[in-house]
Amino acid sequence: MALLKVKFDQKKRVKLAQGLWLMNWVSVLAGIIIFSLGLFLKIELRKRSDVMNNSESHFVPNSLIGVGVLSCVFNSLAGKICYDSLDPAKYAKWKPWLKPYLAICVSFNIVLFLVALCCFLMRGSLESTLAYGLKNGMKYYRDTDTPGRCFMKKTIDMLQIEFKCCGNNGFRDWFEIQWISNRYLDFSSKEVKDRIKSNVDGRYLVDGVPFSCCNPSSPRPCIQYQLTNNSAHYSYDHQTEELNLWVRGCRAALLSYYSSLMNSMGVITLLVWLLEVSITAGLRYLHTALDSVPNPEEPECESEGWLLEKSVPETWKAFLESVKKLGKGNQVEAEGADAGQAPEAG
Amino acid sequence: MAPVLPLVLPLQPRIRLAQGLWLLSWLLALASGLTLLCSGHLLVQLRHLGTFLAPSCRFPVLPQVALAAGAVALGTGLGGAGASRASLDAARYPPWRGILGPLLVAGTAGGGGLLVLALGLALGLPGSLDQGLEEGLGTALGHYKDTEVPGHCHAKRLMDELQLKHHCCGRHGYKDWFGVQWVSSRYLDPSDQDVVDRIQSNVEGLYLTDGVPFSCCNPHSPRPCLQSQLSDPYAHPLFDPRQPNLNLWAQGCHEVLLGHLQELASTLGSMLAVTFLLQALVLVGLRYLHTALEGLGGVIDGEGETQGYLFPGGLKDMLKTAWLQGGVAHRPAPEEAPPEEAPPKEDLPEA
Repeated sequence: MALLKVKFDQKKRVKLAQGLWLMNWVSVLAGIIIFSLGLFLKIELRKRSDVMNNSESHFVPNSLIGVGVLSCVFNSLAGKICYDSLDPAKYAKWKPWLKPYLAICVSFNIVLFLVALCCFLMRGSLESTLAYGLKNGMKYYRDTDTPGRCFMKKTIDMLQIEFKCCGNNGFRDWFEIQWISNRYLDFSSKEVKDRIKSNVDGRYLVDGVPFSCCNPSSPRPCIQYQLTNNSAHYSYDHQTEELNLWVRGCRAALLSYYSSLMNSMGVITLLVWLLEVSITAGLRYLHTALDSVPNPEEPECESEGWLLEKSVPETWKAFLESVKKLGKGNQVEAEGADAGQAPEAG
Repeated sequence: MAPVLPLVLPLQPRIRLAQGLWLLSWLLALASGLTLLCSGHLLVQLRHLGTFLAPSCRFPVLPQVALAAGAVALGTGLGGAGASRASLDAARYPPWRGILGPLLVAGTAGGGGLLVLALGLALGLPGSLDQGLEEGLGTALGHYKDTEVPGHCHAKRLMDELQLKHHCCGRHGYKDWFGVQWVSSRYLDPSDQDVVDRIQSNVEGLYLTDGVPFSCCNPHSPRPCLQSQLSDPYAHPLFDPRQPNLNLWAQGCHEVLLGHLQELASTLGSMLAVTFLLQALVLVGLRYLHTALEGLGGVIDGEGETQGYLFPGGLKDMLKTAWLQGGVAHRPAPEEAPPEEAPPKEDLPEA
């Protein structure tokens, strides 16, 4: 009993071939879109690789790029096949290749589905990379004289301004590191000496943040220093003040940005996957319909198309049998070779 | 009546003309589409920068007129493409025959007029930008502290965002901030002697400092931003006089915005010039094709030679014909027209 049998007459076959041809070219366009989406994501990750410690995983954009290219190639080939299927002479040369080609298409569809799933699942690894990378970035904020790290201050400042965020989890992260370079500290001042002596590592820690944490929506000029000292500023209560600095941490901000990018790419990839599955099914119907034409001299006759020749359990059994036969065939050959060699030796 | 600039058009050159016209029409459609995009972009930019342009500045008129001109040019291009395509096919030409005349008139009068106007504006208006920006930025700087005053409460946020985005400080430099009170009076401690001294030290009672807002800070500076006491070189230890410009943004917002908007206006102007040229070519070509086919009586495949022309007669002949036509139209009904009515000079058709 064939799976999902459909009757095809000449007109229906021609319509199927034409429709598939169109869908294939639409799918080539979709492949180009996926390729450019992957490229865009790769560039976005590269742009901010400084705050991710250059260790971010490029698996998702690389696989999107690969899948996009493959989709273009396979679908243009399928389009050519569908175009040729209207002409029996041209179709004859494609006939032996169709079955392996369909198998390749099915595996490509599985790969496409897995890539779409990956787009949604990469969030976790990105979060840990960001946490680690931002912590290091903030540590090197003051090293504007160290070659190789002198750009970190500019990078973090521009990041905080662009993404409207401050610190790793919040602005208090800046209280725990020394972000002012020693070069600009006046070591003859008593205040500086007191602060450095007050902690074990001899760091100059302040309850202040860099200017890039300032929120332009605040009604008062930005308060950057002595943030926990209410009496240092007129009419200021650090417990209730919300508009002065950005409240969000940069890890959360970057994570939500990249998550939304990858989620939308995942949705688009799933839609393309649905298109590819329907193209593969249509191609299978066309293949079986053209193969089951009873009289090749009479193209006007009806034929049947199906997805699988037998039902699913029977097909699976037949597949296992063929695999076993392949194994047994090797065994028999090996025994025959041994038997052949033994009399020769003997 | 000798036709103006006649051109003999046998069948083959007519076909070539139609094909070339089809190509030119699509090029015109492309150019007008780009013009529409350009003017749309400029409109969006002006919406963001609206607070920094004085209301008396007429600059926003330019993208609006360019938008209208681009739309008409797009219509002309699409119409021209359709007409030239139809003129190659005998079955499709008859409906286009009636449209072609009005299309030419609309394209020349409407499109041409708008394009010339837009070009003129593109050349003349950017000059008024200077004054408009000067006034607008001055007002914005003055209202920076008015975060509690309804109507101006967004001035601080907009000014900060402008300085952060365009990498500029003040109107012509950071010292502009020394001359305005940019700290809201609500956050000034009246019991602080320093505050009282500063307020009493000037006639208007403003709290002026030698400090700047945080948005003037330059992230490229190697040291944390110095925002206050900028006129005192000894206030900050280890201040490196070799790198004074890295601390704050060196450019003033006036220069930055002027350059930005003038560049956009000049791009728009060049797009308008290209569209104008293409539209002129398309309209002239369509006129020749139209008159040539009219000479054949609307039969496309006629093998005979025919003449295409721009105008059926010289300007004097045309005016005479129009006058006579107007006179003939009014003579059969003299009782309708009272003797004081103006003579029919107004009936001259558009050339």
